[in-house]
Amino acid sequence: MKTMDETKDKNPFKVPENYFEEVNNRIISATVGAGPLIRKKGISRSLKLTLAVAASVAVFVMLSYTAFRLLNPDNRNRWLSEISTEELVVSYLDDIDILTLEENSDLSAMYDSEPVAAREDIIDYLLNENIELNEIYELL
Amino acid sequence: MSGISQDTDIIRILQSDINRGFRIVVEKYSSKLYWHIRRLVILHEDADDALQNTFINAWKNLGEFRSESSLYTWLYAIATNESLTLINKRKRNAAVSLDDIGSYLAGSLEGSTWFDGDEAQTRLQNAILQLPEKQRIVFNLKYFDEMTYEDMSKILKTSEGALKASYHHAVKKIEKLLGEY
Repeated sequence: MKTMDETKDKNPFKVPENYFEEVNNRIISATVGAGPLIRKKGISRSLKLTLAVAASVAVFVMLSYTAFRLLNPDNRNRWLSEISTEELVVSYLDDIDILTLEENSDLSAMYDSEPVAAREDIIDYLLNENIELNEIYELL
Repeated sequence: MSGISQDTDIIRILQSDINRGFRIVVEKYSSKLYWHIRRLVILHEDADDALQNTFINAWKNLGEFRSESSLYTWLYAIATNESLTLINKRKRNAAVSLDDIGSYLAGSLEGSTWFDGDEAQTRLQNAILQLPEKQRIVFNLKYFDEMTYEDMSKILKTSEGALKASYHHAVKKIEKLLGEY
């Protein structure tokens, strides 16, 4: 059986005759040959900065106003009176549903059905996520 | 155009005469980039598409290329992204799962007019196709293109240490797969 190195220098992939000359011409036609490069005219840098500052100030004002409305006791009571009883009841029921689900869920069944990852798959995952294997080996 | 081989020279030409500079870029890099793309996407027709898209993207984004970085790694990064975009598109069109893409591409290999490998080469390519995508890219760049880890790190935005570990692991896996045949 040939080793990896014995097959390395032989390229099994083929291309049509004169392919590279032909593709280069196509690429040039689609780029350089298509006319001058038109650069998109965006808004100027200083205008972008001004808009960013204005947006930040607007957000700050809105948040401050909202905080003022919420923290002001008179305003809070006025808001609560605007919410209907039905809406309040529904919001409580939603909370209860979540808690009931948590109490009834069989966590052990979840763990039993968890597939066990193969060692190779774990290593591949760690490498693909750019995690240094040497650091893990040292911890172990 | 001969004699202009250094990227620094090409960048200087691009700055003074963008059309002439880009022609030199295409002439110098089309073959290298084609083979890098081809080893990832397998089919000649797909590699052809991705190669054209790579240069079109490079042309459109020349203004954003920083001359202090390497033209070589910049182009390879675009080519790699185009290849992955194409592979993902194929996955969606063929409704192929992430785990099956290696087998799917191996099937493309066998049926391809433009693959003329002997048994050993076919086995090697099939083994490489079993690697996870990123690991396959690392293996190809190191093994076939003999790229330095430093350059690879710039292309894949991954630390050199992780790339070394990835390549080492890829080699072990391929040797094991070849040993099973």
